[in-house]
Amino acid sequence: MATAVTTQDKRAAELNVISRKQRSLWGDAIYRLLRNRGALLGLIVIAFAALIAIFAPVLAPYDPLAQNGPKQLMEPIWTKLFGSKFTDPAYVFGSDELGRDILSRLMYSSRVSLIIGFVPVSIVLAIGITVGMLAGYVGGVVDDFLMRVTDVVYAFPDLLFVIIIVATLRGTGLGDAFDGLLVIFVGIAVVNWVGVARLVRGQVLATKNREFVEAARSIGAGPGRIMRKHVFPNILAPVIVTAAFAIPGAMLTEAVLSFLGIGIRPPTPTWGVMINEGFIVFSTTPWPVLLPSLCISLVLLAFTFVGDGLRDALDPRSKM
Amino acid sequence: MLRYVIRRLLLVIPTMFFVALITFTLAHMAPGSPFDLNANRPLSQATIDRINRYYGVDKPIPEQFVIYMGNLLKGDLGTSFTRQRPVVDIIGQGIGTTFQLGLGALAFALAFSIPLGIVSALKQNTIVDYLSMLVATIGTTIPGFVIAIFLIYIFGVSLHLLPFVGWGSWQHMVMPIFVLSLGAGGFLTRITRASMLEAIRQDYVRTARSKGLHERAVIVGHALKNALIPVATIIGPATAGLITGSFIIETLFNVPGMGRLYIISIGQRDYPVIMATTLLYAFLIMIANLTVDIMYGVLDPRIKVR
Repeated sequence: MATAVTTQDKRAAELNVISRKQRSLWGDAIYRLLRNRGALLGLIVIAFAALIAIFAPVLAPYDPLAQNGPKQLMEPIWTKLFGSKFTDPAYVFGSDELGRDILSRLMYSSRVSLIIGFVPVSIVLAIGITVGMLAGYVGGVVDDFLMRVTDVVYAFPDLLFVIIIVATLRGTGLGDAFDGLLVIFVGIAVVNWVGVARLVRGQVLATKNREFVEAARSIGAGPGRIMRKHVFPNILAPVIVTAAFAIPGAMLTEAVLSFLGIGIRPPTPTWGVMINEGFIVFSTTPWPVLLPSLCISLVLLAFTFVGDGLRDALDPRSKM
Repeated sequence: MLRYVIRRLLLVIPTMFFVALITFTLAHMAPGSPFDLNANRPLSQATIDRINRYYGVDKPIPEQFVIYMGNLLKGDLGTSFTRQRPVVDIIGQGIGTTFQLGLGALAFALAFSIPLGIVSALKQNTIVDYLSMLVATIGTTIPGFVIAIFLIYIFGVSLHLLPFVGWGSWQHMVMPIFVLSLGAGGFLTRITRASMLEAIRQDYVRTARSKGLHERAVIVGHALKNALIPVATIIGPATAGLITGSFIIETLFNVPGMGRLYIISIGQRDYPVIMATTLLYAFLIMIANLTVDIMYGVLDPRIKVR
């Protein structure tokens, strides 16, 4: 790389022209993304949350499930400044109604949230891109099928559709796998792949008759190669933006389901589960509910800022 | 245009059928029957059989579906399994509350989002713009139930200013309506700002200005009128979103609306209520989506609908 740049510079010097470092679309996009203060802040928050999630077993002061009867409902230590008598220096963020350490539970919760953010979205992208490209490029039966499925799925209120799927599979083996994590993956994937497929289809339709695709075809490139090498890279930008917004969407779905008591099974800690469990004591001790609410707000905001930044970076024309 | 509308309306029928089929299958596939919930007083097998026969849930699921659809076409939504009352009555009670909540939230969202969007477009890249965009982002990003939790803590638990359980008096309505309006309001603010920004750069605005019109006349009469077209088309789905999306707020604030009814019915496996609420929701959403497409054609003559 370094040599390439120097040769380029040398040649430019020989030709006596001003040389500018070559920049690709992606290089430009990353540059613009990092210049965006909101997006940068979001990335920092996400990196911080990811580190906590990865190192939760090392960082957490207690086992998130360990109950300590006499130390129930300790308040966070900073409330001591405002005259609270129920604090304990051993519980920095306080303890919940079963005497479990809130800080440890918050740390472990970030694991579930990030998994929920990334795994189902990957599934959604894999299915959505495949079906969308087939529908857009090949058309015919696949396209008709996709459009009819879209009509039906779009008619459902999306969260209510996830709820009915999750509730249906709850008592089955699938519903119990990984404390209910798997069935949430399924629910999110079933409801959301259609949107990605629709988007990809539209993009493919707009791209497949452009000159560069025609050029590739004229020199004998097969449909597989055209789709992979020419169409796909050109439809990637909107797909990335959609994925960036789908991640907080999936996290929110988990939080809502767990909050309603049909998501992840207690006692596995997630922010939604913590809010659900803490609600019983909310009017006397709000901290078991307020702290996870704060965490989820911060992480969702961080992802949204990054998503906004990505959209501006990848498509400078759309400013919204 | 008329042919387009008719085609879209006809498409509603098969879509509704598939929504019904999927919901029915899912609801009936769920393990457990609606009548085995009272674990303290287990019923004898004979009684269970009799109840199942009475409600028709002993038949195979495909047959039940055919019977259900037949009754549906006659306008009969069935009887609730757990409440022993016609589903129509139960839904009729809930839907009024949900509409009050949803339309209240819509009115409030419009009241703050449109002025906010206009002002931030006119004062682009100033502190006013940044602040209102921040408010809009928070409104669309932070889930309603989380904002509700903070509000309940401040105004309900700490200050004792507002009740946070139930529905009826205006004090009960303040928090749910406010919280519900934030998501739609934030979204509408962004749309208003974006389309206003586009409108004030158009040639017809420059023309209006160059013929010496007052700045206010240019903004209100020329830019705003066109900028509100996308906003107007979003109002339909926004309303549908508010009405179908209120279930968390209803559950949280104990508002006796359709959304809470839906959540409770899923827990109780009350098939007729689940079916009826889902179908009603799906219908509302489809009509809302259809309205946008038609509105676009009516409001903006530049767009030709095929």
